Amino acid sequence: MTKARLASLLTLAMLLTAAMPSAQTDPGVQKDKRGTGATLIDPKNDPYGFYAFFQDGLLRFQDVRHVSTNHPGLGPRFNSDNCNSCHGEPAPGGSGAFINPQFLFTGGIALGNIIPSFLTQHGPTLEVRFPFFLNSDGTVNTNAQNGGVEDIFTVTGRPDAGTCNSATILPQPDFAAAQAANNIIFRIPPPTFGAGLVENLDDSTLLNNQLANLNNNFGIAGTFNHNGNDGTISRFGWKAQNKSLQVFTGEAFNVEMGITNELFPQERPTPEEDQFGLGLPPACLNLTGTGYPEDRSNPLATPNTAVLDDVSALSNFMRLLAPPRPGSVVLNGLGVPAQFITTGSHLFNSVGCSTCHNPSPGNTQVSNFAPALSNAPVPAYSDFEIHHMGATLADNISQGGAGGDQFRTAPLWGLGQRLFLLHDGRTTDLLSAILDHASDGSEANTVIGNFTALTPTQQQQILDFLRSL
Amino acid sequence: MHSSFAASLLMLTLFASPPIWSQAAKEQSIPTPPASSNPQSLTKVPKGVILVKGAWSSASDSVTPLPEDSTVTNHVFHNQYFGITFPLPSGWAEKYKGPPPSESGRYVLAELAPADAAKASASASILITAQDLFFTPLPVASATELVDYTQHHLQSDYRIEAPPHPTTIAARDFTFFSYWSPVAELHWYVLTTQLRCHALQFVLSSRDRHTLDSLLLDLNKMNFASLDHDSPAAVVPVCLKDYATAENVIARVDPVFTENKSNSIPVRIIIGPSGKVKHIHFLSAFPGQAKAISDALSQWTFKPYLQNFHPSEVETGLTFGRAPTHALPKTPPTH
Repeated sequence: MTKARLASLLTLAMLLTAAMPSAQTDPGVQKDKRGTGATLIDPKNDPYGFYAFFQDGLLRFQDVRHVSTNHPGLGPRFNSDNCNSCHGEPAPGGSGAFINPQFLFTGGIALGNIIPSFLTQHGPTLEVRFPFFLNSDGTVNTNAQNGGVEDIFTVTGRPDAGTCNSATILPQPDFAAAQAANNIIFRIPPPTFGAGLVENLDDSTLLNNQLANLNNNFGIAGTFNHNGNDGTISRFGWKAQNKSLQVFTGEAFNVEMGITNELFPQERPTPEEDQFGLGLPPACLNLTGTGYPEDRSNPLATPNTAVLDDVSALSNFMRLLAPPRPGSVVLNGLGVPAQFITTGSHLFNSVGCSTCHNPSPGNTQVSNFAPALSNAPVPAYSDFEIHHMGATLADNISQGGAGGDQFRTAPLWGLGQRLFLLHDGRTTDLLSAILDHASDGSEANTVIGNFTALTPTQQQQILDFLRSL
Repeated sequence: MHSSFAASLLMLTLFASPPIWSQAAKEQSIPTPPASSNPQSLTKVPKGVILVKGAWSSASDSVTPLPEDSTVTNHVFHNQYFGITFPLPSGWAEKYKGPPPSESGRYVLAELAPADAAKASASASILITAQDLFFTPLPVASATELVDYTQHHLQSDYRIEAPPHPTTIAARDFTFFSYWSPVAELHWYVLTTQLRCHALQFVLSSRDRHTLDSLLLDLNKMNFASLDHDSPAAVVPVCLKDYATAENVIARVDPVFTENKSNSIPVRIIIGPSGKVKHIHFLSAFPGQAKAISDALSQWTFKPYLQNFHPSEVETGLTFGRAPTHALPKTPPTH
């Protein structure tokens, strides 16, 4: 063998080694442009004029709300003052950013508050729940399910807080005590790209998918969460507890920002205030001075889009967001060969991941909103079922028909640009997130066993594939 | 830390007073809170414990064996309901417990693998499942049909290595078929037999076929108690699908549900020789639903089932709540 040939072989080996590290490495968040945040509306094929509604919704999505002046309605308790601060990464409609805006709120929109220790500058943006109520002696009563959202901040200290301006009147929940008792769980904001397609999947499509997967040899058998009012399949939220984008938005507007609306017209006390029939302190009611709901339709407004209430406008924005587009993957500064991505997708199917993370659960029904929502494929990588995910992921929160260990199969489209993973953002490492699927009581144990049976190179190809989504 | 956790569990145990329809009346790996309204005082919520359950399995008594009550003790897998004893291959263990039974009647009885993957000659696993044939929404009526259905509906990522054919394992009739994934280089051996109107399956998986062949020999060490006529487990009720029809039900009272959960509630019952319901097994039900159904079924009377002209116990299935999803129409084979 000549020296030149040996040198070229060594160079090739080094290049391959760089692309296929011996230990599996999450390629991490991909920076290439994937069109995230665009609308699926084609302005040239928009018979009902919804493109203007998308643009209007996008503006409202970033609109900062105040308590009693200039776009009022915020509070008296809240997790943020605008949608985009929690759903802005990598584009409006997404999830939380690398620099957690909540960590900075006590220097701005939540002046009279203290930052709980679980909020960190580079940690995930969080929503907080206490799984159980307390007994009168302060101990946890595991027979008394709580599970409601405990907003992190209050309007105390804000110049526009009016009569509700004291931590004595409206204290923050006792997060330190909840942490000490391990009676606290977290959720991160779910991204909403492609949500209109998900909303427009007919129940029969989802049921047929469920049947088609029932003969799997992985021990997987999920079910659906249902809407209590009409009995149809609900599909939004970490436990598929919300039926539609309108409900999803209306609830978030009230729960996360404290803005009452046409779907949720009452100001929301904490679960504890509700438990004891106290409600919110009178000094913290009707802070806008205009009554309820704080967000409503505006019949006299112009242009037409402005007639909508915020909840409807925001729902339209999310409904018309395009699904995330797959892209190329860079690992350690080098592009991952397309063949690795393709192989990774086949491995993903073969070991059983796609039994739940269904690459294509079907096509949408005919849409009365936009042609792009009609008969469209939904490459969501989800079956929209709820599955038992075991003790490691269980959060002991029940929502609708989902128990404390059941979660909706998280759609994986857009995963290549997600910072924080799993429902509580506990990790940024894809491999760690995969392995956390296995524990006592999980439907995914056998699949994770298959994954770990693969060679390191094959596991790497799955990670590469997932970051291409 | 460990001591406080243990103390918390002990408190749960001491306070527990399971009523007749309570969840986890029998030994389970995942600690379960009692279904009572009494306060349970804990200074710290234990980590990694599923305390808040959705629809789950439960039973009317804690004596009658249930399909999901598998255990692995001293390296031996036991399932009293199916009468199985299986000494695990050397160095193998049950790493995790499986999920509860599903609405569609699917059980994960055990997931077995080498205890120390690093020391194992080849990575492998044994998944033991059962499909209740009363509740499967698939268009199959027997274990053999389930295997055929599975074979004909394999994803395109797999290739069949051996089509279904009869075999004998531990002196019992099984159907064997195998397939593999060329890209993952994983092989699956699937062994299926029918027991008490369930399709009982052993799914062996590995990259190494020699390992799988070796595991087949290990499976021969299994013992099926029902084959042993001296064993009390041999005396099990006759199982009959759709026995609870109008022609057999003399008196019935419908359950009154206090909340609408929109779930399907599969229930297996054992009817005694007198025609009264002797045992109720909820595969998947919320506690309130289980109580309402228990209250109703206690008032049902069946025409006694006759076996050799003698009234006998019979086991059958009922579905309450949401009607199960319709079965897929039969589709032509793809392989």
